[in-house]
Amino acid sequence: MTRLEATQRIAAACGSDPVVASLGHPAYDLFATGDRDTYFYTWGSMGLASSIGLGLAMAKPDRRVVVLDGDGSLLMNLGSLATIGWVGPANLILIVIDNRLYGTTGGQESATAHGADLERAARALGVDRCITVKTLDDLGGALIRAWEYPGPWVIVADVEETAPTMRPPQDCVFIKQRFMRAIGSPEGATQGGPA
Amino acid sequence: MPIDIPIWAAGVCAGLHAAGSRDVVYVPDNPLSHVLRGLHGEYSDVRTTVATREEEAFGIAAGLYLGGRRPTVMLQSSGLGNSINALTSLLVPYQIPMLIIISMRGDANEWNAAQVPMGRAVAAVCDAIEIPHTSPATAVDVMETVALVGRTAFATRRPGACLLPRRITVPPPAPPEQMSR
Repeated sequence: MTRLEATQRIAAACGSDPVVASLGHPAYDLFATGDRDTYFYTWGSMGLASSIGLGLAMAKPDRRVVVLDGDGSLLMNLGSLATIGWVGPANLILIVIDNRLYGTTGGQESATAHGADLERAARALGVDRCITVKTLDDLGGALIRAWEYPGPWVIVADVEETAPTMRPPQDCVFIKQRFMRAIGSPEGATQGGPA
Repeated sequence: MPIDIPIWAAGVCAGLHAAGSRDVVYVPDNPLSHVLRGLHGEYSDVRTTVATREEEAFGIAAGLYLGGRRPTVMLQSSGLGNSINALTSLLVPYQIPMLIIISMRGDANEWNAAQVPMGRAVAAVCDAIEIPHTSPATAVDVMETVALVGRTAFATRRPGACLLPRRITVPPPAPPEQMSR
């Protein structure tokens, strides 16, 4: 399966669930599948998508929270898996798009091309519900399980790199305010009210 | 507040609570252990979360804010160096506010030379990346300073830092009562 095919399948499963997308190709492809107000596109802070998702899952225990991460990004913040394992938010689903390379920066190989296994890393750091999928059918099955049973979940999607075709909105404050309004925590200052 | 909590640490607890913060994400630091004892003992409505690294703490706190919370991040000043990319490419451009409590190393009353360069750079780094910072003058000023920095951060939707000087968090031994000739 290609990254875009995997992302399309994930977006179909997400519906109105909030999604935090790691910068670069994961965010670009998520936007290409059809922009939604419930998508939080990061433009920097490489490695922190899973941390942002963890905080959001803690703040909104009644909402399912999905993170679209990359192998290079997660390798930059492996400690996040230990914290997710410790906190154990049942509503968090971390999906790692593993193309075994740094796609956004020119396709340099990452450590997952040379034996690093992010599913085993997640297990070792305390996340019990983990699965690696290599086909669209297996990804679909994993998404059904993750949507049905409490997490936290880590799904490693083994994908082939494809060129992104679109870029998400570039106004960071717009992305934030639109996202917060869509998930039911609008910023007070954007609402207006009595003086 | 238990009798063994220093007044400055009790002030941090009360100040962040007064600013509306009920989530504290932190990387441990020796003086900040007093704040944590105060929170765990007296503020059962405040959730504390340990991060493995300061940059991660800022990411978790950003997610908490997106979900409608008013987060506090507590760290030692050395951890500011671990956090600059999170601050400059997430908190500042997205205007994600939070109260940042920084326990200083490397300022007056330091003994460890390895802590001095980053400690000396903290204020200049905050200025360079547009994070406003304020230091309480004395231990009894800590509560008001923390509360004001937090309220300002959440009202203006910008992160704000309260720098806790080491002369407050690690008080030097009292001078002898009478100087001998």
